[in-house]
Amino acid sequence: MSAHTLMEITPTTFAPPIADKPAQADSEVHQTLIDIANLDFFYGETKALHDISLKIPEKEVTAFIGPSGCGKSTLLRCLNRMNDLIDIARVDRGTIRIRDIDIYQPDVDVIELRKRVGMVFQKSNPFPKSIYENITYGLRLQGVSAKSRLDEVVERSLRGAALWDEVKDRLHESGLSLSGGQQQRLCIARAIAVEPEIILMDEPCSALDPIATARVEELIHELKSKYTIVIVTHNMQQAARCSDRTAFFYLGRLVEYADTQTIFMKPSDAQTEAYVSGRFG
Amino acid sequence: MPDSDRPAFAIRKTRTRFLGLTMDECIQAFFGGNALVAVLVLGLITVFLFREGSGFFKQNQSNIEVYRTAGLEYVDHLKRQEADHTALTRYLFDLRVRVFKHHTEVEGATLGEANQQLIAFDDYSYDFGDTVEPLREAVYDLSESVTATKTRMLVNEDRLVERQQLRDAGAVEAAEAVVIEEIDLVAARQPLLAFRPVYGQINGQFAASLLSVLAAEAPAMPTAELEARFTRFHELVEQYIDGFPTVEAALNTWDPNEPIPTWKSWTSFITGERWLTASFWQDWYGVLPLLTGSLMVSMVALIIAVPLGVGAAIYVNQLASVREQNIIKPCIEFISAIPSVVLGFFGIAVLGQAIRIISQWDWLSWVPGFPVVERLNALTAGVLLALIAVPTIFTLAEDALQNVPRAFKEASFALGATKLQTIIRIVIPAALSGIISAVLLGLGRVVGETMVVLLCAGNRIAIPDFTTGIAAFTQPVHTMTGIIAQEMGEVVQGGIHYRALFVVGIVLFFIALFINFMAQKIVQRYRISIG
Repeated sequence: MSAHTLMEITPTTFAPPIADKPAQADSEVHQTLIDIANLDFFYGETKALHDISLKIPEKEVTAFIGPSGCGKSTLLRCLNRMNDLIDIARVDRGTIRIRDIDIYQPDVDVIELRKRVGMVFQKSNPFPKSIYENITYGLRLQGVSAKSRLDEVVERSLRGAALWDEVKDRLHESGLSLSGGQQQRLCIARAIAVEPEIILMDEPCSALDPIATARVEELIHELKSKYTIVIVTHNMQQAARCSDRTAFFYLGRLVEYADTQTIFMKPSDAQTEAYVSGRFG
Repeated sequence: MPDSDRPAFAIRKTRTRFLGLTMDECIQAFFGGNALVAVLVLGLITVFLFREGSGFFKQNQSNIEVYRTAGLEYVDHLKRQEADHTALTRYLFDLRVRVFKHHTEVEGATLGEANQQLIAFDDYSYDFGDTVEPLREAVYDLSESVTATKTRMLVNEDRLVERQQLRDAGAVEAAEAVVIEEIDLVAARQPLLAFRPVYGQINGQFAASLLSVLAAEAPAMPTAELEARFTRFHELVEQYIDGFPTVEAALNTWDPNEPIPTWKSWTSFITGERWLTASFWQDWYGVLPLLTGSLMVSMVALIIAVPLGVGAAIYVNQLASVREQNIIKPCIEFISAIPSVVLGFFGIAVLGQAIRIISQWDWLSWVPGFPVVERLNALTAGVLLALIAVPTIFTLAEDALQNVPRAFKEASFALGATKLQTIIRIVIPAALSGIISAVLLGLGRVVGETMVVLLCAGNRIAIPDFTTGIAAFTQPVHTMTGIIAQEMGEVVQGGIHYRALFVVGIVLFFIALFINFMAQKIVQRYRISIG
């Protein structure tokens, strides 16, 4: 397909969701929640992130886009220190501050951090337990065991993840008995059950069919009012449809970061333009 | 040219053939053949086991038949009565030891003084011991007579077999020359039947003399506790006397011609409490002592090996650093490379001795069964078997833990779980069926292990005395595997003993089959639940 046809398609495909968005002025009032400054990150000897600086605003959806291996997932996993689980991974320079707390300081409680920064993974991964147990897992870890409280959280979380009506009669069946899209929404419900401030989503729809994807995207829209969402996606239409701000990464560097509309309509960088218009990636 | 009519590419099969098969088919046949060998071997082993073992029950039935016909059953009633009396004498002896100990240790008497004080007691127990004499003599005479009859019957059976073999070989004359003695069973049994009225008298006297001993002045006991034991002795003797009419009735109703039902040969094997072979009196093939021994040893082994193996697997797979993994894993796996005979040797030379010494420490005397009497016992063998089971359990449990998808752990961490919470709440439940089947396969390994139990279990063929509670584990036992290894070399092929060992082998085979079947079932469920 030539670049020309793509350029023609782009506005019609992307325009409606962007047009639906509230005035840009509205997003300006949101404060910075996550402040990444001059971050260098290594896997062993390989430098995976080069000098990343990025401010993510509160209660907005920020999308990380870029070709495979560009470091977007790595950066996402830095935000709740999931990279700690990899022995050879380390932050070499720079800081990540969430509400002015540097989360890489030695005195930071990683467990507390992860309660505040929830995560949804690329492949849905409910535990091999019942739907109910899946949702209450995080609370039980915190020592909550009162049935009434757990019931309440299960209902609230499942409603929050738009799954309640589908599963309310079979809460005690295995989470693995659900369909792929339902499983992913169950994972979202599980993440919001512990009431985090931030939800990280690592390509949450890449294993889902278009209908399930549409439901999850709808859900992201609804969640925005309560949570700050950072989403990594390969799917540019998805970034355009559901994010307020977009960061484009290439080869471990942040190339451009701006309002989603700007990135897709008037990118200032040639690489960004080439990527969003589908010329590479 | 004719070729020009053909299409440009060849579609005929032109591959080389060997015995009408193409190369691919040959290779397939080779692989299929290999797979078939496994199935065939298993089939052959099963058929062989059953073929060799199947004759046992018929032979066992005739074994019991001879026991009855020759009159051994009759005499055994009397022997049991005699043995019960011996047990009572032993009780008295035990009591004497206690009283003696009391005199020397509590009252500080010298050995001579203590013996002096016990003269009355000794007279009493001599009197008690003497009461059985008439019965003992009668039993002795009858035993001689019935053993003679039995020997003649067995010789005859042998000769019948010999004649049949000669006849089969074509030596008809030689076959006819084999003398088969006519046994007049009625005459042979005459002493037994004639003994019935005599027994009535002997029994009456026996009971009377026992009662007179009881009525005589009892030796004084130094403490209330010993007094209670002496009173208990009185009760036991009274119960013993109460049992006399039963013995008499058994003798009077004994019928040498009553047929032995077929099930008897089965139950005497499955529920038989005696495994007695090459005996002068009567051979018994009861699997129960061996089965109990095997189970006890396996139980000890599992109790030790499960926490060790599973715990080590959890540590290595979930918590250990790469360096630790590289040290621990080969070490545990190396244990399985130690030949079991070496382990057994270690058990005799080191472990058995160590357990005995440790059991003699005063501050451990609260442990049931301590101090241990026998150096080699179920506990020693079990501890060593645990060493054999640990590598199996460890390796398989670690595999099961390894197979828990990483995504489960990540999801748990992302929800704010600590490492331990994740292990306990997510990883272990997800791997549980794998761990259980690892334990079952470890059990299979333990039940089938031979060398260690043969060397270290003590090899006493008797059901341990469970009235001592958990201390029964410090008694020597014999096992199913051990007995086969020990006795197979010295039995007559085709004889009843030989076949009995094969039936024990079949029992083992079924136990192993069951364990493996369960392990596979559980693993299947596990695969499904992980999805």
